[in-house]
Amino acid sequence: MIDVSITLSPIKNSAGIIIGVSRIARDITEKKRVEKELVRKNIQMQRLFFISSAMRGTLELDRVLRMVLTVVTVSDGLGFNRAMLFLVDENAGVIKGAMGVGPASHEEAWEIWSKLSHEQRSLEAILDDVQAGPLRKDSFMDRLCCGVEIAIDSDTILTRAVKEKRAFNVWDARGDPQSDTVLIQQLGTMAYAAVPLIARDKVIGVLWVDNLYSQKQITEHDMEFLQGFTDQIASAIENARLFEQVMRAEQELENIFESISDLVFFVDRDFTIRKVNKAVVDKIGLPESSIIGQRCFWIFHGLNMPWQHCPHMKTVETKAALVGEIEDPHLGGTYLISSSPIFEKAGELLGTVHIARDISELKQLREKMVSVERMAALGEMAAKVAHEIRNPLLSIGGFAGRLQKRLEGGQKEQARIIVDEVQRLEAILNGILGFVRTAHIEKKPVMLSDLVHDALFFMEPQVLERRNKIRLDMHGEIRLLANYDRLKEALLNLLANANQSSDGGEIVVRVYRTPALAAAVGADSAEHYDAVVEVEDFGTGIRPEDIGRIFDPFFTTRPVGTGLGLSITKRIIEEHEGTISVQSSPGRGAHFVVHLPIKEGEA
Amino acid sequence: MKILIVDDEKNILKLYKAELEDEGYTVVTANSGAEAISIYEQENPDLITLDIMMPEMDGIQVLRQIKQKRPDIPIIMLTAYDYRDDFSVWVSDAYVVKSSDLSPLKATIKQILDKKA
Repeated sequence: MIDVSITLSPIKNSAGIIIGVSRIARDITEKKRVEKELVRKNIQMQRLFFISSAMRGTLELDRVLRMVLTVVTVSDGLGFNRAMLFLVDENAGVIKGAMGVGPASHEEAWEIWSKLSHEQRSLEAILDDVQAGPLRKDSFMDRLCCGVEIAIDSDTILTRAVKEKRAFNVWDARGDPQSDTVLIQQLGTMAYAAVPLIARDKVIGVLWVDNLYSQKQITEHDMEFLQGFTDQIASAIENARLFEQVMRAEQELENIFESISDLVFFVDRDFTIRKVNKAVVDKIGLPESSIIGQRCFWIFHGLNMPWQHCPHMKTVETKAALVGEIEDPHLGGTYLISSSPIFEKAGELLGTVHIARDISELKQLREKMVSVERMAALGEMAAKVAHEIRNPLLSIGGFAGRLQKRLEGGQKEQARIIVDEVQRLEAILNGILGFVRTAHIEKKPVMLSDLVHDALFFMEPQVLERRNKIRLDMHGEIRLLANYDRLKEALLNLLANANQSSDGGEIVVRVYRTPALAAAVGADSAEHYDAVVEVEDFGTGIRPEDIGRIFDPFFTTRPVGTGLGLSITKRIIEEHEGTISVQSSPGRGAHFVVHLPIKEGEA
Repeated sequence: MKILIVDDEKNILKLYKAELEDEGYTVVTANSGAEAISIYEQENPDLITLDIMMPEMDGIQVLRQIKQKRPDIPIIMLTAYDYRDDFSVWVSDAYVVKSSDLSPLKATIKQILDKKA
């Protein structure tokens, strides 16, 4: 069969009477073919143009994928029955099913087709739906497709399409050894095509199509159209992916920005606040929308014109970053601020980014420290003055005293006056310096359990560091008259000593009450009690020749340490009229026992 | 009984020496911490009184050096200031606040030497 054009022309005689018909038949196969091709190409071009612009308008990856598959499957588009998209995951070395569309069965196929032909919806309308409507990803094809993962190494049609960057049109799926058998069985497909999606010379995925329900053969024209179309698909998908990456990065940045506890905000050249983080919103106490777009001097300083100490202004002026401390009376508090200029690509200043940290507390602390230091310096001064005055006074008074002893009568009386006056001056000096002459330390009722817990808590980090364990064995509440800080210091010294002698060992602390040591109180010991604190370790112990010296000041067997700990401890215990003793042998540990008298009326 | 007195003020050394000799002690003096360190072993005193505030080597340093070698020699710290909260003073055997009234110092010396005897 061929296309022909037939021209029938009447043949007339000289009188104008038709005497016959001439018939010219021309073979126009070629012309027709070219004409058809032109129309087809035209439609194809129109569709491609429409589809690509529709896809370019969408940046959400899932929507782009759905759009692609819709175009591939609707009758107004490419008209395939079913389609699936696989994307290359380079890191995992696999291609993964991303989305699939198409009826699950013949029945569903007929239903859809009849509905579509009834509705007469254009491709345009359908794509609009995909772009705006809700995305559902629960169809049979979708679920099937998303479960597919094929190693790129393996030799299947899909992976070859990726590796060889070429399209495959498989006419006999069941007879083709390179068709993924599981996929073929599940899909029930007879013939299909696989076309690589190539964006910037890289294969990013594969488009799979078949015509299971219509049984229409996939032609070379179809393949051509598909291939023309896949470039658009690939770049749309790539764009969407990049966009998603950018979105994700932006979201991460946004999260970081919001979670910074310092105040971070961007102010443009006109003093207008363009961006703030959550810390700013919290500090200002206004919703973000009421801050953005406002002038920074109004929001941050409550002023109608730029603040005289405005760091933004200085940064805009100098175009250089600025770091400084600012006392802000409006917000209240002291802020450590850094203000950095932001430039656009051309080098034009856009504005400044500010980071402000509330350092009010820090500043208060710092000021307190300065005042403490000042007090300490004053104390030092006073000590110096006291020393300078005290020594001459001492000489005057002392020698006057000697004279007083040796002189007689009126002269003795005069020497006495010198002595008295010097002593008066010394008393004034002591008064100024807050001296109390009594060498006794101040003692108050102390709960021994509080003190022990306090000391153990204080020691905990050091004990943990040496992987030691402290076992506390405390019986009853014991109240005694003591100087809390000094007694704690004494216990800390004993604990530190035990801790340093052990490594991964146990330290036992026992606290209990016992009848007083007879020697200390005499005969009636039955009526007196001692508080006993024992600290026992099972570490290195003390050599017999050292045991008599361990309470001597500056005696130490350790490379580090002052050698003062145990002598200070002994002195403190003695200040409390108590006793300290030790039992030890090398390698067996040391056992310190402290007795502190509980005086009558205190317990 | 021999007592070594250490003070940077010559007048005070003179006063202490006279007063303690009146009490019947043998008295040697050192005018600085360094001098005290250089003579204490040779003099071998039964007791040392140490002024805390001295230029260059202060009393605490002298205390440390002597106690390290000779923990048996009692040392009384003399202070013009309240040092009770400074634990390094605690390792001395006693401390007395400097005063023109020398009786507390004398009493402390007597108490320590009596215990030692």
